[in-house]
Amino acid sequence: MELLPQIYFGLFAVLALACALTVLVARHPINAAMALIGMMTSLSGLYAILHAPFLAVLQVLVYAGAIVMLLVFVIMVLNGAKDDHTPRFGSLGLVLLIVPAALAALLTRTFRGETISNNEAALRGTVDLTGQQLFGPTGYVLLFEAVGFVLLTALVGAVLLAKRELDSHKETKA
Amino acid sequence: MTAISALNVQFLALLLFCIGLATTLTRRNLFFILMGVEIMLNAANLSFVGFSRTFAAAASMEGLVVPVFVIALAASEACIGLAMIILVFHSRESVDSDAYSRMKE
Repeated sequence: MELLPQIYFGLFAVLALACALTVLVARHPINAAMALIGMMTSLSGLYAILHAPFLAVLQVLVYAGAIVMLLVFVIMVLNGAKDDHTPRFGSLGLVLLIVPAALAALLTRTFRGETISNNEAALRGTVDLTGQQLFGPTGYVLLFEAVGFVLLTALVGAVLLAKRELDSHKETKA
Repeated sequence: MTAISALNVQFLALLLFCIGLATTLTRRNLFFILMGVEIMLNAANLSFVGFSRTFAAAASMEGLVVPVFVIALAASEACIGLAMIILVFHSRESVDSDAYSRMKE
């Protein structure tokens, strides 16, 4: 049993949980977005020690790099600081906390007796092997193309939504 | 190969998923609802990667391909979700989800 990976696992796990809890209780959306970046970066570290380097890089590039950047950009454009009067939690909030707590308790009970262990023969998820799995003969080429269409649809949809907003502004001004 | 217990990875994923679910269910700010969804997607990815390490050879790569698609779908979800927040914010000047309980007005 090597000790170093376990230390890193503990470190990243605590960091990810702390950042996720910060998102849960933060007041300002910008603080939560920064905590979200922390959580995604520590998950990237976890992927690296779980022998999935391609996913680790993808996590930083797409999640921490693109998605949270978009989120921060929109928060700053809309000036989320204005809504200090919005209460953090809804009136039903504490009651609804039962749902995740029950889920956690149920799954913990299910998992506890199980013995799953890492397989010695598991492959390392390098770019090479992941690409072969994606585009190989038994691969996910069709799914890959479908995801491409979904991304294109999302792009066009977002542009159309924002464009309608701009047009309505023009009408109100005229 | 790794000295990390596969069960601990699953417990971490479970805790992260529950925190994300709590964020989505209890927060009122629209941005936090989106961020809770992102946390849940990340937790599901971690679970996929953790379980993929328990399989041998080629089967261990399957669990590393699914997160690639999840990340792509999360990107499109965030794109559309944020565009909708912008639209809805300009109609009511509020990011409180309760302000939109009557969409017809």
